[in-house]
Amino acid sequence: MSTRKTIRLTVNGKPYEREVEARLTLADFIRHELHLGGTHVGCEHGICGACTILIDGSSARACLTLAVQADGASITTIEGLRNRETGQLHPIQQAFVDAHGLQCGFCTPGFIMTTLELLGENPDPTDEEIKEALGGNLCRCTGYQSILDSVRLAASRINTATAA
Amino acid sequence: MAIDIPTRTDQLPTSATRFIGKAVNRIEDPALVSGTVEFIDNLSLPGMLHCAILRSPHPHARITAIDASAALELPGVEAVLTGEDVERWCDPCFTAPEGWGNYCLAVGKVRFVGEPVVAVAASSRYIAEDALELIQVEYEVLDPVANPDEAMASGAPLVFENRGTNVIQSRTYTWGEVDRVFAEADRVVSRQFRWNRVGANPTETFGCICQWDLADNSLTCRGAYQTPRFMAIGRAASLRLPANKVKIISHAQGGGFGGKGGPRGTDIAALLSRKCDGRPVKYIEDRMEYLLAGGGQSWDRYYDAAIALKADGTVTGFKVRLVDDQGAGAEGYGTISAAKPLAAFTGNYRIEAAFYDLTLVATNRAPTYPYRGYGPPPHNLVLESLMDVAARELALDPAELRRRNYIGPEQFPYTVPSGNEYDSGNYAAVLDRVLELSDYKALRESQAKARAEGRLVGIAVVSTVEPGVFDWNAYATVGVPGVGVPEGVKVAVDVFGNITVAIGFNLQGQGQFTVAAQVVADYLGVEMNAVKVTTASTDVALPHFGQGGSRLGVAVTGAILGACDKLRQTFCRVVAHVMQTEPDQVELMNGRLQLKAAPAHGMTIAEVAGLMLSRSDLLPPGVEPCPEATFVWVSPNRNLPDDQGRCRSYLTAAAATHVVQVEIDRDTGQVKILGYYIVDDCGTRLNPANVEGQLQGGVAQGVGAALYEEYVYDPQCQPLVSTFVDYLMPTIHEVPMTVKDHIVTPSPIAPLGAKGCGEGAIHTTPAALLCAINDALAPLGLECRETPASPRRLWNLLHGQHGH
Repeated sequence: MSTRKTIRLTVNGKPYEREVEARLTLADFIRHELHLGGTHVGCEHGICGACTILIDGSSARACLTLAVQADGASITTIEGLRNRETGQLHPIQQAFVDAHGLQCGFCTPGFIMTTLELLGENPDPTDEEIKEALGGNLCRCTGYQSILDSVRLAASRINTATAA
Repeated sequence: MAIDIPTRTDQLPTSATRFIGKAVNRIEDPALVSGTVEFIDNLSLPGMLHCAILRSPHPHARITAIDASAALELPGVEAVLTGEDVERWCDPCFTAPEGWGNYCLAVGKVRFVGEPVVAVAASSRYIAEDALELIQVEYEVLDPVANPDEAMASGAPLVFENRGTNVIQSRTYTWGEVDRVFAEADRVVSRQFRWNRVGANPTETFGCICQWDLADNSLTCRGAYQTPRFMAIGRAASLRLPANKVKIISHAQGGGFGGKGGPRGTDIAALLSRKCDGRPVKYIEDRMEYLLAGGGQSWDRYYDAAIALKADGTVTGFKVRLVDDQGAGAEGYGTISAAKPLAAFTGNYRIEAAFYDLTLVATNRAPTYPYRGYGPPPHNLVLESLMDVAARELALDPAELRRRNYIGPEQFPYTVPSGNEYDSGNYAAVLDRVLELSDYKALRESQAKARAEGRLVGIAVVSTVEPGVFDWNAYATVGVPGVGVPEGVKVAVDVFGNITVAIGFNLQGQGQFTVAAQVVADYLGVEMNAVKVTTASTDVALPHFGQGGSRLGVAVTGAILGACDKLRQTFCRVVAHVMQTEPDQVELMNGRLQLKAAPAHGMTIAEVAGLMLSRSDLLPPGVEPCPEATFVWVSPNRNLPDDQGRCRSYLTAAAATHVVQVEIDRDTGQVKILGYYIVDDCGTRLNPANVEGQLQGGVAQGVGAALYEEYVYDPQCQPLVSTFVDYLMPTIHEVPMTVKDHIVTPSPIAPLGAKGCGEGAIHTTPAALLCAINDALAPLGLECRETPASPRRLWNLLHGQHGH
């Protein structure tokens, strides 16, 4: 029960080495050991998507992953998006602000991380592709319309910036 | 001093509003998208312990023995709390009506699956949960009371033995000459409906950190609290503390929708802290705990209802018999939810007489709590469904039947039979606009074509009134006396002209911080980023309520306008003194205090505040060196109800009409939403983006309630829903992207003419979807009168299968 294991991983570009219990979830590790509280936990059974992070560039549920499984991985969380020097928001974050893509904001980090993965793979998604990508994230406040708008806005801004 | 609360935006001291009425970005959002907001589980305190709760596996059982000795021996475990402690230190929670409350942990017997039985405080949540597995509880299983029929049967087991009955409340309301209008009716349409239990399910569950100060015998609770002062009073009562020794610090909440607050979890964590020499104890409810026993299950209802009509389609009467399964007691104020429809019982219509027979029953299901809308969603589904049945029988278009019965724009203020007074509206204009927006004629043509092809396509046109800005007087007849719900703010200007607004509630998602900043910035003529909105803890906050009852946007606007008017009057006195004139010769305009006769002469807000704080020698007699003002707003002109519950309760009456087109798949029973159109009228739109967000979010929850979500219990009262795999929350695939427009009929009595707008869509969407489904089924002679109209339920209906 209390088997402990040393893991080494990178989170938002910063290397960590920690000894953890084998049963510790990655969500709890990120939130309570590394004190990165933006990865929220909504259901702890992999349905709501609030805890979505990127592990080696691919979206994953931090609540269903054990910290020991992330040994050697490179992880991105919501805290890794904003420019550390200037505090400027990532274009996806700014698009969610501008298009009112959130209300309580609890599910938002998960939606933004899923969007980050989507736009990395598909910079100009159709509405159906956006819905397909976001189908595993639950939002109880917005009714999703402004989230769809936010992702469209983010994509168009990123594409404009890339073209320029 | 007399305080002036503007009811129109052109009465503000600005030549043109710069923020109010515009879809400005929310001040809440940069931190939320960055993941840096301090939701309660992000907070740790030194020495903090973690709580886990062992819950009842039985719906109804006597506890015969608890052995927690092995748990106490587990390294890391600091304390175990049982019903014995609770009975010694606590009282059962307040309820309305009184005497139907439970203790925070079961004492003697359990009344529902998921009821807390034993709680543990340990050095980590992991160890606390390990400890639960070492606790032995012996039960003597009792027969459950599974539903209202069983509850009301003679000789039924009793959920609360000391009550002698399972009926929490039973009463009737008669408004007008009901018997006469039904006797004289040309047609009576009646139906039965079953609305199955749904719930709030915010993405963040409840959480708290409680710390008992043993020296001072006081308690501090930090957490996801929706109504902080209300929570403080409740905890003081259940924990036998003076109310001023309970301090609630409300953190940002990941959604609320009604039941956010966790009185049980708070009391349990508080008592564990007391047992652990005052160390802070954190309790974070997990999703399974929420789904089994959290605050948010609502509306478990059985309806038998009728409307009376004249041959021309005039609806003259409306009768409703409601049996509401409250679950195991009234701890969550589910009773109030059954009384809420009084505020708009007869909807948009000139119905002259109405009758309400209300029976609230205790069973061994989980206790019910508030959920967004608080009662009208099922009530409106009943009324609007009957309107559609009547239209079908009269061979009238459902839009036309509604139009013939609307309260006319010239009839406001309009008193409905159940007593509330609607402030303003123009229902025909809303209808006209939505019929145009949806191209209703074309929708009907496409439906005819689809029907000819054998497809099951249906359309609904559903109208509702949203009572906004709740008042306690609406609930006096179910045991909550009082008139006036306070919302207090303090507006403070600092020496540099920055402004701080202190309020009594915290973020929950609706954007009230932004609304507060918009109103202050326009009133005092500053930029929005000069305004800081902050939450005061209950020990220092002004009287307040917080989110609830579709009221806070209006209420906080009223409070800020009141405080700003007090500031304005003080500033005028100061400037008049400095300029050696009279205060009535000075005016506030665009952020300056200036001479009315010579506007070029004046001072900015910052200059006046700076002077007040640094030059007491220049202040007029009687003016304190304090550029701050407080104001506690309540709805104007409210009154006590009569014996039939009639009173001016909710301040505003917003209105909406939704047009929806659906198609039912014959082979799967799945409902596909082909088009969804909304026109609403909530008066002045303080922040249109906030309003649209409230509408669309309400649609999503309405879709869930009408088509997917259900707390399923088996016949033995065992819940079959404990995860999001079983409780089907709508995703982006199920929620329609709606087409919206609006008209604006400002409230003549509410601050800036704004009406409560947080609940209108969930009041309307379930009715709209069920009516559209029944329109689709009409050619087959079938009707669905149970929610959710899930694929299985519709498939069974289409294929002649009965039951679930």
